[in-house]
Amino acid sequence: MPSTHAPVELLAALGRLREQVEQTRLDLKTPEVEAHQRSRSRILDQLDDYVLPRLVQLDAPMLAVVGGSTGAGKSTLVNTLVGETVTESGVLRPTTRSPVLIHHPDDAEWFGPDRLLPDLPREGTHGLRTVARTGVPAGLALLDAPDIDSIDDRNRALSRQLLEAADLWLFVTTAARYADSVPWEFLTSAVERDASVAVVLDRTVPEAVEEVRRHLARMMTSRGMSDSPLFTLPESTIDPDGLLPADAVHAIKRWLHELAQHEGARETVVRRTLDGAVRQVVFESTDLGRAIDAQLEAASLLHQEADTTYESAERGLSTSFADGSLMSGHVAARWQDFVGTGAAVSAEDDRRGHQRARTLGVADALTSAITATFIERTRTAAEQTAMAWYGTRFGRAQLDLHPGLDRASAGVEADAETTVRDWFEGVQELVRERGSDRRMTTNYLALGVHGLAVSLAVAVVTRDAPGSERGDIARRLVASVFGDDGAAALVSTVADDLESRIRPVFASERRRYLDLVESPESIALRQASLIEMARRADNARHVDHLDREGAS
Amino acid sequence: MTDSTSPLDGAPPSEATTRLRGLEQAIHAARGRVDHEILDAADDLVRRGGERLQRSSEHTIVALAGATGSGKSSLFNALADLEIAGVGVRRPTTSWTLACAWGPAGGDEILEWIGVPPRHRVSRMSMLDRSTDDTKLEGLILLDLPDHDSTEVAHHLEMERLVKYADLVVWVLDPQKYADAAIHERYIRPMATHADTTLVVLNQIDRIAYDMRDMALDDVRRLVDEGGLTQTSVLAVSATRGDGVDELKRELARRIRAKESARTRLTSEITTRAGEVAQASGTTKTDGVTDAAAENVTSRLGEAAGVGSVVEAVGSTVRRGIRKRTDWPPTRWVRLRKPDPVMRLASQTEVDATQLVAAAAPSAGIVQRSAVDQAIRSFADDASGDLKTPWSLAIRDVTTARSAAIGDGLDAAVSETPLRVRVPVWASIVNVVQYLLLVAFVAGIVWWWVGSVLETDGIPAPGVIFGVDQGLVLALGALVAGLLLALIGLVASRMAERSKAAEARDLLNESVATVARNEVIAPVKDELERYNACRDGLHAALR
Repeated sequence: MPSTHAPVELLAALGRLREQVEQTRLDLKTPEVEAHQRSRSRILDQLDDYVLPRLVQLDAPMLAVVGGSTGAGKSTLVNTLVGETVTESGVLRPTTRSPVLIHHPDDAEWFGPDRLLPDLPREGTHGLRTVARTGVPAGLALLDAPDIDSIDDRNRALSRQLLEAADLWLFVTTAARYADSVPWEFLTSAVERDASVAVVLDRTVPEAVEEVRRHLARMMTSRGMSDSPLFTLPESTIDPDGLLPADAVHAIKRWLHELAQHEGARETVVRRTLDGAVRQVVFESTDLGRAIDAQLEAASLLHQEADTTYESAERGLSTSFADGSLMSGHVAARWQDFVGTGAAVSAEDDRRGHQRARTLGVADALTSAITATFIERTRTAAEQTAMAWYGTRFGRAQLDLHPGLDRASAGVEADAETTVRDWFEGVQELVRERGSDRRMTTNYLALGVHGLAVSLAVAVVTRDAPGSERGDIARRLVASVFGDDGAAALVSTVADDLESRIRPVFASERRRYLDLVESPESIALRQASLIEMARRADNARHVDHLDREGAS
Repeated sequence: MTDSTSPLDGAPPSEATTRLRGLEQAIHAARGRVDHEILDAADDLVRRGGERLQRSSEHTIVALAGATGSGKSSLFNALADLEIAGVGVRRPTTSWTLACAWGPAGGDEILEWIGVPPRHRVSRMSMLDRSTDDTKLEGLILLDLPDHDSTEVAHHLEMERLVKYADLVVWVLDPQKYADAAIHERYIRPMATHADTTLVVLNQIDRIAYDMRDMALDDVRRLVDEGGLTQTSVLAVSATRGDGVDELKRELARRIRAKESARTRLTSEITTRAGEVAQASGTTKTDGVTDAAAENVTSRLGEAAGVGSVVEAVGSTVRRGIRKRTDWPPTRWVRLRKPDPVMRLASQTEVDATQLVAAAAPSAGIVQRSAVDQAIRSFADDASGDLKTPWSLAIRDVTTARSAAIGDGLDAAVSETPLRVRVPVWASIVNVVQYLLLVAFVAGIVWWWVGSVLETDGIPAPGVIFGVDQGLVLALGALVAGLLLALIGLVASRMAERSKAAEARDLLNESVATVARNEVIAPVKDELERYNACRDGLHAALR
């Protein structure tokens, strides 16, 4: 008694593998990503439509799918094999749109929508029709599939799905077709996964039968199909019911009946296809895992471009907020007004108004220069990132998908303004707070909170510019109230505060890019677990194989 | 295009030539901007089209293409009335292209061009032709192409290469394979724009029962229509039995006589390729760089470059230089106590901008980088307008991507502007006069003091003028004259400040304008000119 219980280990391993494959994202448009996406859905289909259900119910009847080119005579063959018309045939191409499954009445329980191809509709033009006929032997079901090469792509997809759910392929071709590339693509993929295939050469004029048959047999041998049976159906007259003469299909019929009745032979065919499919799934998953390298590389590149651009923008901004470069042009002029005219050192009441105006002038000029530089940096960074992304195919695809990434976000100006304003308010608050016990000193009174805050701000933006006359004056002004150490402490506090306020704005600008692309770390993690699960499934496959060898 | 290697140089003038020239111009202009794959495909057409236009227009190249087993070779034999093409049951049969040329000389040249070797060519002399007038195939070059769907990949490649050269493509379908995706999706449907240089033939019509033929033909018609080739004729023939072959011959003969297939085919291909380029490049109209935009960016760059503060410094240097020489000397000594970097310069008679800049902004350059960036960016954005990404990126490439260099250029231009700030000579003369007056003042006081107050012996006491002591008169006179001169100097220094400032402003603006023109405006204009050249070329190609 051959073991027909479900191999639990293998099932569990494949289930986990399936989960990993399903979670695989292939978002980036790397050169071969379409092929990998197809491979991903093929693995899932193969598991859902064939491998997993077959593993759960190893004793289900054998499913033989009759597939092939449009116009090859699949339907006529099926009708003749069953002995009555169960599926339509005709001159218009493609003919069979809705697949028909014919099984023995005793096998009905196996072919309910819950067991066979659960996500395939049972109604409509492409729905699966199931009929019970005694013309087919018990233990075997025939499925008349749509063509593999017609212009109707629903047909082609459905046909592929059905063929991949089959235990046995009955592949029909003709004298005009047997060297076509599309059918051979199917056959080659069947050979690759070790599916059991029989080829039927149909519709061949009698005088050409021998030559074509020999040529086809040679093609099959050279492509690794030397054990597959090859049946020939000469072009013959069709009776009024659309059937071929019974003796034309005699050989095929007898072969199918033998397979159905001889449990050992059936088991061998089913097992061979199933093992092949499992192996194919495992291999293809491993390949898919390796193919993620391209995604990984692309994601790293994109992340890296965004990271380096924004990091250097942030660094550049920090530098220009320290090296005194802001103290030029208008800002310098206003500062000159403030210190040069004595506004900074005059405490006379009647000149208060004047002093205040000059103080505000510097504050305005300085904060708007900081804001403008800040905004410019975010804009440049966005443009540079976009330009770098645009240089790659996958980067360009992301940019096309998400318009507006070639410039800074719309809210960045307002963000920058608020950030800088809040910072300067913070500076004033700090001066007020630290200066609470010095409020009555002459210098404090002379400069006022605003004057001190402005001086402190100037000291901050010139802190890394030794020898800067203006910075020196500003530092001395701050030190005149807080002392040298106090001034230095204030400068570093305020500088740190500015940086910590800028950081989140840059971070959110950078995130606009990073969020579009899964992080390389997470891709690498999922790649590793996919490959690991494929490896475990492969182990389980070997163990299962050994178990069976031992049992038989 | 003055491109010396243009494949269109020898092409006779015609509408197709004009269109190709337009496409060529567009490709040339869009190089480096638009996706090179699209441009390469278009370039390929320009080359091939140019070559075709230079060759016999008396000939029409007709290609028979189709699946293996559809009977291309049988049809070729039927049309040529010869048994030259091998026909067999093994698939695929035809591995190389066979050609048959009817009629006038020049056919060999064309076959040479498309790469059919002499051993695969046959020619038919018109005098031997037993066809009637309306089926005369004079001027036909018939190609029997390899299949597109067999396992032999070399066949597909050869077929795809040759189908491009054909002026008219006859797709040969058969009852078994007429609905194959391979032919419709890969070949016939993409040819929708060439509907009028395409024929579809349903061969082996004898294989279909007589009463089913119309139905089958209708079905082929439906598939062809669904592909968008409603203009394409669909004929039913049987190459082996001869049904419909005469009709096909008549259709071919009609096209050959019209001699339009080559140009029609080329024109529709130009439309396709130019359409692709237009899709990628965009064809919206651009306003170009307006004078207002150019002026705006120039003045903003000037502002960013600190022209204002330099001009101010120039003015005040001149003013102070004059005041320093024309003020009543004692008041100068008081003023000079205050340290002022700009004032220090005022004691020199000549200064240049670098010194002024150093005095005005000692810690950094005068150029405000962020303002430069802003000015350039808004100019570039304005100029880009609604242009598609390839072009707006190209514009950014020459502007915002170079803003650091442009800033450096501005810096150099401003500091190298020769601002000869010269204190006028008259101020120095006034200076001498002022000192003379001071001397006269002191002498007057001394004279008065020594002569009248001390009444020292030996020194003649000053006389009296209008009742006032002469020494005192001299001192007061000198004082009044000195102060008056100082007042005149003050007024003159203001006037000089204004005029020198204006002069400096003109010089600096000119320097900034040169940088703006060469580094910002001209590159953008060049880029927009390229865009317009591309757009015009596409316009000509798509006319």
